Amino acid sequence: MSDLVTVTIDGVEVTVPQGTLVVDAAKMIDNDIPVFCYHPKLKPVGMCRMCLVEIGVPMRDRATGEVLRNEDGSVRLNFGRGLQTACTVVVSDGMVVRTATQPVKDAREAVIEFLLTSHPLDCPICDKGGECPLQNLTMRYGRGESRFDFSNKILLDKHVPLGELIYLDRQRCIQCARCIRFQDEVVDDPVIDFHNRGRRLEIVTLSEPGFDSYWSGNTTDICPVGALTTADFRFGARPWELTSVASVCTHCPVGCNTTLDTRREAIAGGRSVIKRVMPRQNEWVNEIWICDKGRFVHHYADAPTRLKQPLVRKNGQLVEASWDEALDLVAGKLQQHKTAVAGLAGDRLSNEDLYLFQKLFREGLGSNNIDLANRRLAGGDVVAQVGLASGSNLKELGAGDAVLVVATDLHEEAPVWWLRVKQAAERGAVVVVANLRPTRLDKFATHRLHYAPGEALSTIRQLVNLAKVEMETADSDPLAAAADALIKAKNMVVFYGSEGLTYEETDALARLLANLLLVKNGEGHVGRPNNGLIPVWPHSNTQGAWDMGVHPAFAPGYKPVSEPGLRATDIYAGVADGSLKALFVIGADPVGDGLMADRGQLDFLVVQELFMTKTAELADVVLPAQSWAEREGTFTTGERRVQRYYMAIPPIGDSRPDWQILAQINERVGLGKPAFAASLVFNEIAKVVPQYKGMDYRSLARVEKQWPDVGGEDLYYGGTAHENRSGLGQQWACVAESATVERFDVAEQPVIARDGLQLVRVAALYTSGTLIEQSPVLHHRMARPTIQLAHADATALGLADDDRAEVTVNSVTYETAVRVNEQVPAGLVLLSGVPYIAGLTTAQIRKLETAVAQPTGD
Amino acid sequence: MAHILLRHRDIENIHELDVYLAHGGYEGLKKALSIQPDEVIEVVKKSGLRGRGGAGFPTGIKWGFIPKGPGEKYVIINTDESETGTFKDRELVEKNPHQVIEGALIAAYAIGARTIYNYFRGEYMDAAYRFEEALKACYERGLLGQNILGSDFSCDFYCHYGAGAYICGEETALINSLMGNLGQPWSKPPFPAIEGLYGKPTVVNNTETLANVPPILVNGPEWYTSMGTEKSPGVKIVCMSGHVERPGNYEVEMGVTYRQLIEMAGGMRNGRKFKALLPSGGSGPVITEEALDAPMTYEGLTPYGSVMGSSSVIVMDETTDMVWAALKMVHFFRHESCGKCTPCREGTFWMEKVLSRIYHGYGTERDLQILESVANQIGGRCLCALGDFAVNPVLSTIRHFFDEYKAKVSGAGQKQQATRETAVATAD
Amino acid sequence: MITEILKGMFTTFKHLLQPPVTIQYPEVKRPVRYRFKGRHELKRYDNGLEKCIGCALCAAACPADAIFVEAAENTDDERYSPGERYARVYEINMLRCIFCGFCEDACPTEAIVLEDNYELSFYDRASAIYTKEMLLVPVPPGGQPTPQKVEPGKYDRAIPEMEDPK
Repeated sequence: MSDLVTVTIDGVEVTVPQGTLVVDAAKMIDNDIPVFCYHPKLKPVGMCRMCLVEIGVPMRDRATGEVLRNEDGSVRLNFGRGLQTACTVVVSDGMVVRTATQPVKDAREAVIEFLLTSHPLDCPICDKGGECPLQNLTMRYGRGESRFDFSNKILLDKHVPLGELIYLDRQRCIQCARCIRFQDEVVDDPVIDFHNRGRRLEIVTLSEPGFDSYWSGNTTDICPVGALTTADFRFGARPWELTSVASVCTHCPVGCNTTLDTRREAIAGGRSVIKRVMPRQNEWVNEIWICDKGRFVHHYADAPTRLKQPLVRKNGQLVEASWDEALDLVAGKLQQHKTAVAGLAGDRLSNEDLYLFQKLFREGLGSNNIDLANRRLAGGDVVAQVGLASGSNLKELGAGDAVLVVATDLHEEAPVWWLRVKQAAERGAVVVVANLRPTRLDKFATHRLHYAPGEALSTIRQLVNLAKVEMETADSDPLAAAADALIKAKNMVVFYGSEGLTYEETDALARLLANLLLVKNGEGHVGRPNNGLIPVWPHSNTQGAWDMGVHPAFAPGYKPVSEPGLRATDIYAGVADGSLKALFVIGADPVGDGLMADRGQLDFLVVQELFMTKTAELADVVLPAQSWAEREGTFTTGERRVQRYYMAIPPIGDSRPDWQILAQINERVGLGKPAFAASLVFNEIAKVVPQYKGMDYRSLARVEKQWPDVGGEDLYYGGTAHENRSGLGQQWACVAESATVERFDVAEQPVIARDGLQLVRVAALYTSGTLIEQSPVLHHRMARPTIQLAHADATALGLADDDRAEVTVNSVTYETAVRVNEQVPAGLVLLSGVPYIAGLTTAQIRKLETAVAQPTGD
Repeated sequence: MAHILLRHRDIENIHELDVYLAHGGYEGLKKALSIQPDEVIEVVKKSGLRGRGGAGFPTGIKWGFIPKGPGEKYVIINTDESETGTFKDRELVEKNPHQVIEGALIAAYAIGARTIYNYFRGEYMDAAYRFEEALKACYERGLLGQNILGSDFSCDFYCHYGAGAYICGEETALINSLMGNLGQPWSKPPFPAIEGLYGKPTVVNNTETLANVPPILVNGPEWYTSMGTEKSPGVKIVCMSGHVERPGNYEVEMGVTYRQLIEMAGGMRNGRKFKALLPSGGSGPVITEEALDAPMTYEGLTPYGSVMGSSSVIVMDETTDMVWAALKMVHFFRHESCGKCTPCREGTFWMEKVLSRIYHGYGTERDLQILESVANQIGGRCLCALGDFAVNPVLSTIRHFFDEYKAKVSGAGQKQQATRETAVATAD
Repeated sequence: MITEILKGMFTTFKHLLQPPVTIQYPEVKRPVRYRFKGRHELKRYDNGLEKCIGCALCAAACPADAIFVEAAENTDDERYSPGERYARVYEINMLRCIFCGFCEDACPTEAIVLEDNYELSFYDRASAIYTKEMLLVPVPPGGQPTPQKVEPGKYDRAIPEMEDPK
């Protein structure tokens, strides 16, 4: 094949794709060329000069182009005038690389010696000590003794907060610019840069607040020295003391693979606690990056306010009780009210928990009254048919492919998906963004469709209709142009969310988008790898909740039930009007989220939770569950990848894993002996749910060699992100992969007359919630309630930038800050930093006089 | 002989457009516009004109690298003249600006650029004012802007002022600086001819190079090759400074010897004896008496281990302390190192420290070895040429004047070891 | 026969007249050798700042896993040791310790020193764990106890140019 070239590195021949850099080609045959500034995920710059090697190319006759040969028949090589950087030179056929010669050794020794003339020898107190590329490469290639016999090394600041999250030690910085380039090239947040020159070259933050990026933590992973450290882990532990446990992030439907680094702490009473969260390489999911929410929001696992004992209400008070007492009571009460029970689940629970929860209701109590407490996004059944096909990897999308993103702000809701769509756009994919308002993805979009409030469905319907016909004058109408670009794409991936839409509207949206994917332009865009629908679920395992049948109308595996039960809204109504007598809430806080006013006329309320939530405060029985870090389980991502996480820390108090509690209740309601391990529950799932057939904990733990080589011994190359040794997960196949899917009927949604300012709640990554509140390190970054609106609308309301306002939505009032933002379309108000609000509402905004104390910039 | 570049010395007020036009100004541009761009490149190629900034790359070939076809392209004039002892471009842009503008316009026409930038050294404010006036006059007369001289060729001209960084004379650093980035060079490839300013094909030419272009167009390439030597044709402005009687710019044909240059500048000051000269400001290795009869061409000093460079000749007489001279140069390069690549950032700093210690008499034999070793660790291993420039004065003075170093580290020159560390002052 | 008995008696009487070798411990204590390795002490600088910077290299070097260190960050208002890091928790389990002295070798600031004290006995296992307060030497005369409030920027390097305690 012509796109492969063969090079010889230290006598070993290797065949690599054209365009491969010498340093990568060497890495593929385990020839370590040391680097500091080069990183396989960044563009090469060749500034640290550590990777200098001898590179020879065959000499050719200028006239004939024939390879010149020596007398002995060997190819004559031109090694140029000196050493060349292996990180900037691209391989070419016949190239010969020498990495072990004396000049190369001398050059490496020299660079190490130079770096150490200004790098402090404070390895003993450095957080990177022990996993430091500079340290390792010095041991491996250094001279062993410095000839820099001056005691006055340059002294620079050692404690520079670049923001609340990241600290910089200027003295340790070796000016490799990895962090700067990561922020600029990879995540498009160029908020840090170099300042000054020469030995005074130093990193400064250009944003206010400092280092304002959702990705800042990743810079500490790729920093080859201890110059960048997180506020969370600073001086927390030495790397060799940490025990690493594979896990999966619990905050969004991306399902980033993480590693929990734990250590026993005297101040935690000798318990193992999570010291830091590190990314774990999974090139299918998150590559080697995680967002700062995933990195810093782990403190809830160790929070002192965690529930430790089962609580039972006696004489109006919740008092500690034994597990047997609590479970007996729960089982008894649920059976007593068999005809009037309902279950509400949160979508952060594992598949095992959710499966047993629905089993309790369907098989134990004979009720289908089970739903997600906080339903935002519909379409799970559609996704089961035309979801992103198995074998897909968003990294493979590029020129000729298309991504459609509808009604979601990926940057705030699922940052890693934003990153991957952005990178697809940079590789040449067509990105179409359809939303009420501009989002951060617009910058990378080829087509931006901003529909008017209330016109989401009609716009998408029009898009689908336009995509059917072969068009001649595509570019006249932006919608037609977008439809044309989408339908002509080789591969198409569609993301959809719920911004500004009600649950019912998202259902129609999912069906419309499925129909778009089903439009045949040749093959259609379903059932093939890198094609299909991805729902931007609100939480980490909403997909799993659909799969497990936590739905009034679907049993596990999307089997329709004969008599659908009550939906969440009906359950809330039933609680209020007394038609429901007992309610089981697990991993959700409907009262705190404003979905349920109080316990209404319930006879019995049981809440299974980590914390004493507002709902738990009203409960008759509160069952303390274990957080994800204390137990094992599986989550299913929005890409329908089932991923396994492991037990990292010992349980808090007397808490038990959710699945175990449910299994014990199930036993009490007559469902037989409980499974004694999560893996066995999963085995049962694999039997019952056809989509999960063939999966077990062992197959989920399967790994394969990934490129680039990250983690392991080679910290210098990919940074300290962990190697994946514990499982890449498995994607389950949607219907379209094996059968033909018919077009979906889409029910016409009632058109609601919209007048006046329309208010839409938009997502912010750090929106206050039960879990995030436990991480003090993020408190300064929390999204405060804010409204954004266009200048004309603001003026009409008498509002200006930095004013305070009172916003009433669905009879809940928020005090918010006011931001005048010309990016916001007229007639629209964006409300962020508040709990989820479905659909559009007519805005009721009142200016607050300045007499109200303004929170100063804390 | 009438000046070809420094024409203001023959014609008064040639910086005014009328005067310039009256003396054959913009005839070269007219000639260029009358032929195809490819033919213009061919003429420049034939003339053998080579880059006057120091590297000596053939200008016509450089223009020829620019991809043909539509798309934005740029011409950048490099007036970031920061080399020690160099002041030729300053005189050109200040006194004879139109010749530079005309040359740049011809370059723009040849490669199909619609925009020209002139990157000025930040300290050249006076020259820049004069230059901007010239630009204004050109716009008024239709020599810049839309449809220049009634042709299809349109071109805009912008001036940019650097902030006093030597490194921004390197073309990629200059482009970075022009784009608003930190003035640091990038590792080539990509070459500016393919991906330069804003990722578009870009030609970066020295001011003096472009000033050579109009007369070549007017008089033809044969006229140009009749001057100078075969491989280094044409004329060159030499900046004479140091211990000569009359320092200043001298326009000479290529190929004159350095001895002739010193004579031209009035000989050694106060009749002292010649000791050494730096043929290319701070960046070239020093040459001694033996090389004085070498011709001033791009290749002339190769046998003596030095280069012509930008031909800014700094002459030093017998009173000069060569260790001091080397220290001065190293201090300059340490100060100007951009800090991007390790050997230059750390090595220049270390060299200055050791050299300073030796100069002040606290050095030892070992320091001499370290100095040479550090210099060798920098040379040839840096991202751009600055690192190589920085070691040139050190290695060449060690080669030619080892005795002076030797004297500093032994015998009477050497001071007490005890104060060795503390007494050494550095700029940090 | 007689001569043998007399020989034996002679030896006995000879020793009878020599001074006794038994030392009346604990009233009398024999001095230990210069290189004796007894109980650890955590040293201070002359101004009272702790030498230990909480790097946990001693814990890493310890073959018996007897040392436990937890570090925290110094501030100029509350400074325990020079530089940024100090040991918030420092514990040695004397039951585990084998007095090999590796911790001493590993210490970059010469903070931990195995001194003369060999009188280690405990009633229970928990009291065998020596905490930082037990291991730290008293503040030298003229020094201040830690944490100290110091002038900003004065002790911002971990390995300072301070004189060792005499």
